[in-house]
Amino acid sequence: MTQEDRRARKAQRRAQSREAKGEDAKPPRSERARRARDEQKDQMGTASTRDRRVAPEARDLRQAGKSGKAGASLPKLGVRGTLLFLWRQLTSMQTALFLLLLLAIAAVPGSLYPQRNVDASKTEQYISEHGSWAKFLDTLGFFDVFSSVWFSAIYLLLFVSLVGCVIPRLGVHLRQIRSRPPRTPSRLRRFAGFTRVELPGGDVEAVAARAAKTLKRSRYRTDVLEEKGGARSVTSERGYLRETGNLLFHVALLGVLVGVAAGGLFQYRGQITVVEGEGFSNSLAEYDSFEQGAWYDSSKLPSFRFTLDDFRAEYDTSSNEHRFGQPKKFEADVTVDDPDKSGEYSKTLRVNQPLHVQGTTMYLLGNGYAPEVTVKDPDGNVVAEGPIITIPSGDTGYTSQLVIKAPDAQPKQMAVVGFFLPTGVIDEKGPHSEFPGLVNPQLALTVYNGDLGLDDGVPKNAYQVDVSSLTPVADSDGNQSLVSLTPGESQTLADGSSISFDGVKRYAAFDIKRDPFQVFTLVMALSAVLGLVLSLFVPRRRVWVRAVPSAHGVVLEVAGLARSDDDRLVEDVRALAERLADSASTAADPSPSDDTSADSPSSDSPRPAPQTPETDSSQSKPSHEGPLQ
Amino acid sequence: MIDQQLAELSNLLIIVTIVLYVLALIGFGADLSGVTQRRSDEKLEKQKRESEGARAELATVGASAGTAAAAGGGPGGSTDAGTTPTRTATAGKASASRGSAGAATSGNALGARGFGYVMASIGAVLHITAMVLRGVATWRVPWGNMYEFSMTSSALIVALFVIISIRRKDLRLLGTLVMLPVLVLMLIAQTAWILPASDLTPSLQNSHWLIVHIGVAIIATALSGLGAIVAALQLLSTRTQKVRAAREAADRPLGRFWGPVSALTERIPGPEALEALCFRLHSLAFVCWTFTLIFGAVWANEAWGRYWNWDPKEVWTFVIWVVYACYLHARATRGFRGNKAAWFALAGFACVIINYTVVNLVINGLHSYSGLG
Repeated sequence: MTQEDRRARKAQRRAQSREAKGEDAKPPRSERARRARDEQKDQMGTASTRDRRVAPEARDLRQAGKSGKAGASLPKLGVRGTLLFLWRQLTSMQTALFLLLLLAIAAVPGSLYPQRNVDASKTEQYISEHGSWAKFLDTLGFFDVFSSVWFSAIYLLLFVSLVGCVIPRLGVHLRQIRSRPPRTPSRLRRFAGFTRVELPGGDVEAVAARAAKTLKRSRYRTDVLEEKGGARSVTSERGYLRETGNLLFHVALLGVLVGVAAGGLFQYRGQITVVEGEGFSNSLAEYDSFEQGAWYDSSKLPSFRFTLDDFRAEYDTSSNEHRFGQPKKFEADVTVDDPDKSGEYSKTLRVNQPLHVQGTTMYLLGNGYAPEVTVKDPDGNVVAEGPIITIPSGDTGYTSQLVIKAPDAQPKQMAVVGFFLPTGVIDEKGPHSEFPGLVNPQLALTVYNGDLGLDDGVPKNAYQVDVSSLTPVADSDGNQSLVSLTPGESQTLADGSSISFDGVKRYAAFDIKRDPFQVFTLVMALSAVLGLVLSLFVPRRRVWVRAVPSAHGVVLEVAGLARSDDDRLVEDVRALAERLADSASTAADPSPSDDTSADSPSSDSPRPAPQTPETDSSQSKPSHEGPLQ
Repeated sequence: MIDQQLAELSNLLIIVTIVLYVLALIGFGADLSGVTQRRSDEKLEKQKRESEGARAELATVGASAGTAAAAGGGPGGSTDAGTTPTRTATAGKASASRGSAGAATSGNALGARGFGYVMASIGAVLHITAMVLRGVATWRVPWGNMYEFSMTSSALIVALFVIISIRRKDLRLLGTLVMLPVLVLMLIAQTAWILPASDLTPSLQNSHWLIVHIGVAIIATALSGLGAIVAALQLLSTRTQKVRAAREAADRPLGRFWGPVSALTERIPGPEALEALCFRLHSLAFVCWTFTLIFGAVWANEAWGRYWNWDPKEVWTFVIWVVYACYLHARATRGFRGNKAAWFALAGFACVIINYTVVNLVINGLHSYSGLG
């Protein structure tokens, strides 16, 4: 929204008030001229136009008051008037500016407090650590900033304000695009780059025609007008794309909002975990978690399958403290079975190289270790076997938490809790891993007996267990036994149960997502940039040429008006004047023999030099000086 | 993978660059103080000329009165010079010797600016070479972590300054204002954020978006930085004009602070021209920030499967974008045009700095690429 807005909106208002007064749709010529003058004055945008800015609004409100039920007196606006007033306030530039600023400020807490939509567990941890203050912040929505009432209110108001601003401007702009450029002002001397050239022996018609042609070639919209005293003037305007771009930018922003909202309604996203050598077939039951938009039909889940053949990770072994242990490479080889394509195909997924299959996209987002463990109960029955997915605790060394629940163990249910350490060290800091690669893989485990609480029907996190109600298995001395294993080892505990560490596999975590509106949103965003570029860098300007017959030929006047930031206007206007003068002089004396016969003394001179007004103030400030002084 | 020799050469070149920039800063600084010095010299020169005129006048009235006054005035007259012709006469005499000294320093000061400019130019060439070498050594774009981002952005800022002021020599006066923040940034990066050349973390590998997204972000940051300098100058220039008008109306001298500042602002384009330049820089910066956001979203969609997830970096880039949108709107809003709008531009740059420092180092998000665990 720029300066043109208000102008456009004002023009709209003027049009409305005209219609309300029952004026002719096409006002008389004098009225048109007056409006053209007004408009030019507006563009000068200086102090004396300020009171004018207020005037139409007041006029409108009075009008509203009249047509409303409240009566004719000015202070009483009535319901409609009040609404109109509020609407005007909402769609005003100041309000838009205020809302924008508010939006920026309101977004800040979203980066300072852990947000639920980013990581809910961090939010809960923060709340539990910070007590009642955090709970207070929570009720205010500081942990869900971007879905909070206040944040939504700001951006919705902003977009309402935007709609209220853009729609009238769209109408005005469409009308302007179809209409002819406004009349040439009577005194060009006041405008930017004013240049006056005397052309001896020229023809008014020809000069005007040439000017119109030149301007048209420079993509100006031109109109040749007949004026009194046999004069001709050419009025021209260019840079309509500026306003087009501005409107496109704002409409495209609305489009982005629509795309994001529609995407939210129609998308789905799920997380899966796959151990090396194992497969995945796309069905709801296979997902660790699954979120879907309100209007997504989950029965339409595409049916593809894949197997994770291999997962490779590489870590930095350089001696630098910042780099040591940092990941260098993650790669997942998958074999995909896509029913739409004949047969299977192999593909390697990397962090920035997702797999596109059947309209969904699969991203490699996480990885970890799945040690192969066999757990036997005291009776010697195998109660847990195979690769167990462990959760990295977040350190560089990939110290991973391991939980095995064995509800079928006899005589009591068993739980194994502990750590998997890719490069294990057990010292005074407890068991931890010093490097994420498999240098010295170890398991450090504790075994518990008791009721796991799985039978009461409450869903439990598979990767957590509450050991407070369980009894640790003790060794012969009565101490809690700590099981420490390397691959291939196994250990039997005092109660007869045993654990063996058979090997290590890796697992990969993938996100699977489909958002049918993401392309639409991207197109809208790119359109917004296109509009932005047009609205910032296309200059909008008017250029006028007037040819007045004089005793010796024609007096040519050229001037321009910047309707936006336009530092080349004066230069261009002068260049145009020079060009017209040049071509006029060559046209005026086609052969040198004519010179002697002509009575004009100046025809001897090579060509008339453009003169500029003696007070050269227009040169430094093209657009803001002139008519009002 | 990493060519350690090239990487070390790159590090060495950065050190040399810093030294050259320090020399450039000294040159530009000497020039700037020389300008203020020259200004007071010019003032005295002017007073001298006036006094000579006055003396000529006095001579016609009566030579004895003039010489008596000149003898009695003393050198202290220069402080409230210009009030009476007799007093300026003494000031004129006193400044005669200083005037020649001033001419000498003005010659040196021009040399100082030239020296600063040459040092900055050589520095910029070495700086860019260093970044290219770092890129060659690691076989990737040299903006994989905070250190590299800082060094590349600052190279771009200095290069832009040097290139723009090849033709616009008047802008070289502002060398201090460019070199000082650049040096501060480089020294922080060199001491606190430096990392040896290494491969990228996997989340930055295999993506053209690293080149596009971060490349555009670097340009946007550089433009915002230059824009902020211009906006600050615009505000300073307007303020100086006001102060000068007020002091002149009250017939008071400009004083120790506003005197030199006024001398500086007289030599650069006026507030209107600065405003236009500020707007042009920020228009470009805004377009670049918009592209940064969009390319970032596209990349996030490729990497994480979400084009927008309100990660702290995303939040702050959004904040920057909205604040610069505020600037562009403020420029078109009655009552905000001109200087009030410039404050929005400065606020925008403050957000850029926060986004770069606080968000990278304090707040932990998905964009944790500083490489400083």
